[in-house]
Amino acid sequence: MTQYAMVIDLQKCMGCGACALACKTENNTANRHDGQAHNFADYQHETTGKFPKVKYQTRPVLCNHCSNAPCVKACPVTPKAMYKTKDGITMHNDERCIGCRACQEACPYSKMEVKGTDTSVISYTGDEGKPHDPFYTDKTEVIPGLTSSGAEIAAKSAMPPTKTNFSHPDYQDVRRSNITEKCIFCEHRVKKGLEPNCVVACPARARIFGDINDKNSEVAMLVKKYKGKGLKPEKGTKPNVYYIRSYSNTAKK
Amino acid sequence: MKIKRRDFLKLSAATGVAAAAFKGSTLNALADAYRPGIGGEAPGNWVASTCQGCTTWCPVEVFVQDGRAVKVRGNRYSKQNEGTVCPRGHLSLQQVYDPDRIKVPMKRTNPVKGRGVDPKFVPISWDEAYNTIADKMMELRKSDESEKYALMRGRYTYLRDVLYEVMTKVYGSPNSISHSAMCAEAENFGAYYTQGLWGYRDYDLDHTKYLLIWGCDPVASNRMIPATIKRLGDVMDKATVVAVDPRFTTSAAKANEWVPLDPGTDAAVAGAIAHVMLTEGLWYKPFVGDFKDGKNLFKAGATVDEASFAEKETHGIVKWWNLYLKDMTPKKAAELAKIDADQIVRIARGMGKAAPNVCVWMGPGAAMQPRGGYNAMAVNALAGLTGGVDNEGGTLSSAKIPVNKVPKYDKFMDEVAKKKTKMKKIDQRGYLNVPALSKGKSGGGVSTNNCATGMLAKDPYELKMIVGYMNNYVFANQGAERWEKALEEVPFIVHLTTHASEFSMYSDIVLPCRINQYERIGFIKQKANRYADCALLQNAVDPIFPAINEETEFPWHIGMKLKERGFPNLIDCLQDIFKDPETGNKATNSMEFTEFALKYYTAPLWDGKKDVGGDKIAGWKEMKRRGMWNSDPYKPRSEWGKFHTVTKKFEFYSETLKKALKGHAEKHKVDVDKVMEACNYTARGEMAFVPHYEAPRLHGDPKQYPFAFIDYKSRLNREGRSQNNPWYYEFKHVDPGDVGLQDTVRLNPADGKQLGIKDGDTVKLTSVSGSIQCVARLWEGVKPGTVSKSYGQGHWAYGRTAAKVFGKEARGGNNNNLIPFDLERLSGANARNGGFAMIKIEKA
Repeated sequence: MTQYAMVIDLQKCMGCGACALACKTENNTANRHDGQAHNFADYQHETTGKFPKVKYQTRPVLCNHCSNAPCVKACPVTPKAMYKTKDGITMHNDERCIGCRACQEACPYSKMEVKGTDTSVISYTGDEGKPHDPFYTDKTEVIPGLTSSGAEIAAKSAMPPTKTNFSHPDYQDVRRSNITEKCIFCEHRVKKGLEPNCVVACPARARIFGDINDKNSEVAMLVKKYKGKGLKPEKGTKPNVYYIRSYSNTAKK
Repeated sequence: MKIKRRDFLKLSAATGVAAAAFKGSTLNALADAYRPGIGGEAPGNWVASTCQGCTTWCPVEVFVQDGRAVKVRGNRYSKQNEGTVCPRGHLSLQQVYDPDRIKVPMKRTNPVKGRGVDPKFVPISWDEAYNTIADKMMELRKSDESEKYALMRGRYTYLRDVLYEVMTKVYGSPNSISHSAMCAEAENFGAYYTQGLWGYRDYDLDHTKYLLIWGCDPVASNRMIPATIKRLGDVMDKATVVAVDPRFTTSAAKANEWVPLDPGTDAAVAGAIAHVMLTEGLWYKPFVGDFKDGKNLFKAGATVDEASFAEKETHGIVKWWNLYLKDMTPKKAAELAKIDADQIVRIARGMGKAAPNVCVWMGPGAAMQPRGGYNAMAVNALAGLTGGVDNEGGTLSSAKIPVNKVPKYDKFMDEVAKKKTKMKKIDQRGYLNVPALSKGKSGGGVSTNNCATGMLAKDPYELKMIVGYMNNYVFANQGAERWEKALEEVPFIVHLTTHASEFSMYSDIVLPCRINQYERIGFIKQKANRYADCALLQNAVDPIFPAINEETEFPWHIGMKLKERGFPNLIDCLQDIFKDPETGNKATNSMEFTEFALKYYTAPLWDGKKDVGGDKIAGWKEMKRRGMWNSDPYKPRSEWGKFHTVTKKFEFYSETLKKALKGHAEKHKVDVDKVMEACNYTARGEMAFVPHYEAPRLHGDPKQYPFAFIDYKSRLNREGRSQNNPWYYEFKHVDPGDVGLQDTVRLNPADGKQLGIKDGDTVKLTSVSGSIQCVARLWEGVKPGTVSKSYGQGHWAYGRTAAKVFGKEARGGNNNNLIPFDLERLSGANARNGGFAMIKIEKA
């Protein structure tokens, strides 16, 4: 059985931000608003030590597509809106979702409400009828009649204006209101023979995608060689996003 | 065993379904369980263009669906970025669809100009706008004042020649003012007066054994970002990486060693590294040469007989030692820079061992300081000492980019134009205290920020009309308040822009322009990763609201209007010199003219007339499809033996600078010492000709202003233009130590404690020049006694997201309202680094 997984090589990762932005352009996620992050890919940073002996690391984060996914267990509808595909992707069916947010609450990598730039793997698209992104429904013009507005730009392009059109039976390219949303490992791409957009876009080639159950795959070999680890192993979720190597130089003086 | 990524992808392709066009993106082996109903990506086209978010100028491709730009990637043919871009390339999508873009030409109705004053803009037709501008230009010509017209350039493509040069000169003004001195002219100064290269170096990371990063963070800014991001992780495995920077950068986090020197002490540390390399005999002898009898006579404090040393590719090693290096011991430098002396010794030994595959990556931080010229020379001199200059694994020059030059147009310049273009320029370049010694010539380069000096003093004359394009000098220059005053006094300003920026708020007419990477047409020349390139900017999508290619269409329309007013020279010139190189036809409209100009410049790359090397491109259509041309790889050591210096050698004792300074001094009938004094340098006599340390020229008494302010460029800065995009704030924390959604000043926790400032406190920063407010972040990556803050926020115009209240109140603080005006006068460069802006911090 296939189990899709991602390896993130922290030595190669430069924490640049390209993957998260490329994700937003691919998956048409909204700007952060109303306590929801809407970032399928994001970053956590950690500084340790004292000047001048400082260590710093950036860790890119995304849905871990857990083998033992609490979000799937928590989903109360039948058949489940949050479910595992036979390739091991934690998939979300928009139509069946009732917006109860039990998945968001159950996920140890998510928050029901984010503050500042907190990360959350699962986001909620807002109550029934709320716009996808209020930034692009706002009608104010900073110089009336001379400059545009979010609403006008969206009306003349799309919502969001940079919307990438794609189709997937479970998943809308722009999700409707009152449901949850998250990374689907870009299944709409993967099933067409393309890698997830964050992988393609990574200028460091730090993100590697593949079948962890195939011993000869690059992901399986990297995880084995570098003893790849997932986040929060104590939660027993069996995450399928692995981190290898160290962000900062281990031979640091 | 590790399977190489490339091999893995090959395997995948062999077992998979039809491969997508883009190499490196397929995963066909995994597309086994094709689920019916997954339609995947809807159809669209990848259109080649160029990202101009920084000066890497990445060749890119824009994915277009239904006439909308939706995604970005690196150009598949690019040998510079190899198909990926940094975050800026993606972030720019929000610029295209920014709600605050200007929709129509607008005219000011409030004659009063000032910060926070509502210009009371009203819409006007394009025709009225062009008529008004042409009338003003004719007025100046009629009153014999055409020199009082200035063109001020910001982000350009190489179609700039039309607007920046040809239009200005044919009209009759000497004032084509570029922004180059804001960028890094002092850095070019360092390279020129050692190795004869007035330009940026290229870097051979694939073959380096020692990477010395100095005063920049090349995975975040500088000139080959994606290529460096791709390589630094591997460089960590096979080379030593050192980051010399008062700021803890991503490169510093990745480095084997971080050298947090005090800002402005670069030449002391570089000098001490050189001192150790000489005393321990570690210099690269095949490049520098050796003592005739093989015995190392470099002993700390002792002079050496010049005759005892036989140099090879260099000039003046013993002079440099005798004048400066002999006394710059690691102990002394460590005291000046407040670092550990062991670091200096370790670096010298490490570089000596790795020589000549040493890559000295000097950035603007080491150079763009009031006394930064010699710092830049000192750092670059290490490339000479290690033989890493123009060598494998070191710094490289550029392969040639064989595009056409601007055609001859002097026959269209009338007597007025010929006379006026010889007049002095508004930036006072070439004045005693503004040598601006680009390429060895007094007044040879621009001194952008000094325009405000000239304008305020009306010296050499007053300016009566400015056309600014893709620039925002009143925000982007240090001592911005001087520009506010200077612009208030200019009676007629035209701004060619995408957004109503701060500069627009002083303007009388504002014309909507196309945004680069997506709508604007042009081309660039650049180099990175050993390859030079020429890439097109193409109109992948149409602008939502009518907008012009200002570099070509503006001169065209103004040319037409001037002809109606009895001055046909400009339009006649443009039609004559930029014909379609394929048909010989003259352009009949502004868009056709734009295309003909683009074809004219790039023709040698695709017309097949001559083998110019590099990529073979069959015709214009193919050039537009590919969007770029790559050179052959640069051949290391091409410059050895023929460096563009006076001696043709790499100069530790700069005969080239000596000649330039003497030339400038003679012009003003003074001696070089007087020039040094006028330029705020302390060196006198021979010391002026060698890289050396001078105490930083501080603005503000450290007793009153105890912190050195460090300005840096965010990896999300698309120069100053991304601050109206929500994604900028969302991901601002990708700058190490920064916090998203706010404008952050970072200070060391110990300093914070002493000041009673906590994380998240709003603070007021004050220098001798002004005050700004922002949010404090206490972070261990900050050297005590310094604070750092990225440039970019603090807009009071530009749009709803950039400003707190558009036109009135800034969101955050503009570093340039804090950093006082000063220059690195020898190069004419803006001073913005080196911690010369001393500040105090108070809780707001």
